[in-house]
Amino acid sequence: MSMPDTSEEAVRARADLITAFILVALGIAVTYASWTMDRLEVRRINPATIPGLVPLILGMALTLCGSLLLVRSWKLSAPGSGASLIRLMFSWTALRVLVVLGLALIFTLGLMGRVPFWLASGLFIFAFIMLFETVMADTPKPLVPALLWAVGIAAVGGGGTYYVFERIFLVRLP
Amino acid sequence: MFDGLLMLGAGIAHFMTPGSLFNVVWATLLGLVIGILPGLTATMGVALLVTLTYKMQADQAILTLMCVYLGAIYGGSRTAILLNIPGTPANAAATLDGHPLALQGKAGLAMGLATTSSTLGTLVGIFFLAIIAPILSEAALKFGSYEFFWLALFGVVISGQMTGSDTPLKGYIAGILGLLVAMVGMETLHAYQRFTFGIPALGGGVDIIPAMVGAFGLAEILSSMKRTAVANIAPVNDRVVPTLREIFQYWKTIIRSGIIGTFVGIIPGVGEDVGSWTSYAAAKKASKHPEEFGKGSQEGLIAAETGDNAVVSAAMIPTLTLALPGSAAAAVLIAAMLIHGIRPGPMLMVENPIFLYQVVAMLLLATLANLIFGLSLTKLFIKVLTVPRERLMAVIYVLCVVGSFAITQRMFDVYVMLFFGVVGFLLREMKFPMAPLVLGIVLGDLLDLNLRRGLMLTNGDPTPFFTRPISAVICLIIVATILMSIPPVSKRVRNLFARRSGTADARG
Repeated sequence: MSMPDTSEEAVRARADLITAFILVALGIAVTYASWTMDRLEVRRINPATIPGLVPLILGMALTLCGSLLLVRSWKLSAPGSGASLIRLMFSWTALRVLVVLGLALIFTLGLMGRVPFWLASGLFIFAFIMLFETVMADTPKPLVPALLWAVGIAAVGGGGTYYVFERIFLVRLP
Repeated sequence: MFDGLLMLGAGIAHFMTPGSLFNVVWATLLGLVIGILPGLTATMGVALLVTLTYKMQADQAILTLMCVYLGAIYGGSRTAILLNIPGTPANAAATLDGHPLALQGKAGLAMGLATTSSTLGTLVGIFFLAIIAPILSEAALKFGSYEFFWLALFGVVISGQMTGSDTPLKGYIAGILGLLVAMVGMETLHAYQRFTFGIPALGGGVDIIPAMVGAFGLAEILSSMKRTAVANIAPVNDRVVPTLREIFQYWKTIIRSGIIGTFVGIIPGVGEDVGSWTSYAAAKKASKHPEEFGKGSQEGLIAAETGDNAVVSAAMIPTLTLALPGSAAAAVLIAAMLIHGIRPGPMLMVENPIFLYQVVAMLLLATLANLIFGLSLTKLFIKVLTVPRERLMAVIYVLCVVGSFAITQRMFDVYVMLFFGVVGFLLREMKFPMAPLVLGIVLGDLLDLNLRRGLMLTNGDPTPFFTRPISAVICLIIVATILMSIPPVSKRVRNLFARRSGTADARG
């Protein structure tokens, strides 16, 4: 039973290592951008109140904490954890997350603004339920009930959101 | 003293109208449903509801949000007991004894105990809110830029230290990232635009509501849909309403957990989950039967549920008096208050003293509604638990889009929500806590402005930051907190204390 835990920790340590590199890079970039930020000398402001002061401190703090995380995860890294991380990135759960994200992006960036909001949200809800109750499910449900549920919830969800927000609470929708 | 009581009475009377009571009923029920559904958290519920309450009167809007907040924190205990999954992160400690009780055929008793202890926890928190908030508010009037700078930093540091599950380092990093997000946009001292990269929409900075909807809404949807396993619901065959004896035989645990929850609630950015775990640990340590903890201890369940609900009320103390959010959901409440023209902070008791007592009244009404619904609508709530997440999450995402768009009506805010959703999900997967990130976004401006304003007042001399008494104390606490998070230092300090108590024991 302890094996999966150890491996999960090792995978996290490897993921932390990659994150730490990104954080250090971000920290250095913020420090540089803050250092070179306009110090408003033309306006003769007090040099201790330059706009880049706090971002500069934060950039340095992020670089420091990122470096400490880097050292920590380097120490915790075990051989083979990189391969486990890649396996995790191409796993069934990762695919489920990517499908949710893909649907969300199609709805938000593709459909919204091009078709009426109630229709866009209805289509999104329909596609989401159909996918996750059939092909993306561990135990797929029969097609007809899934279809009926998807159509019903899409109609109620899309129409209901429109009605409640735009008609009752007078909130403008995208 | 009597002024306070009179204002409290006025606060309660203010909400004794059919309209207000109607809002209490639907908002509490909605909060309960949000809490019961795994994957929907209290913070998410409050963030999504801000949109719906946007056109309401200020007092009604905050009443609604408060009922959702309290309802969700309490509702999560149902899921913890029946499904062994915390409905919200605050109820994680309740699973340890709640679910074993349900498996022993005492699901009804467990739910009854959770309901009553939640109510008692809220009441303890409310008691301290009514007493401490006015005193703290008066003291805070003497705070200057120096103190507010340290308080903002204290909030981020302590939140990072206490919520970093893996290592405090991750909490600190999350806090710094939040502060950096707050640096984007026009700064208030010289009106200079920082990190906007020529994008006009970034000039106004990153709004807290879309960021929270992303970090707690979309990120939760992704986490929830990632899981494939589905748990079974434990059957409920016994009575739900507990006897007075079943509750009050643990009165010491209730008071202790309520006080611990209150203390945790006062600390900025340290939320209900920490309150619940700390109360649970303290109850186990003080219990006559610690061996029963984790196997269905009624005392353990009572401690966990009293602790987290006390945090909700107590979180309002720093939120209202210092504008430092006591929890992640309180950060959204601050944003909602600002939208409705209520300015939390030391001046609140001067400008709008009745509001504090209205908040106390809101919490009282919400907890009363929780008690009534919690003890009477058991079957309905079990039905809610059976809703498949596949059918729910799509609708929740649509609400996330509406919630982030509707306030300023910019598509940019929807993109902000998407960005924070994805980043929040990745950070959460890698065990970076969300609370310091949120606190950083909320407190970034306060920290930046007060540091530079303080330096401007002293012509660049930082001495008052360290020599003014309150500043010096907060500064020392921050330094001690950071030092204690360094493993070799904390080990040595602990050894030192262990040795001292060992010597004392030997002498005794």
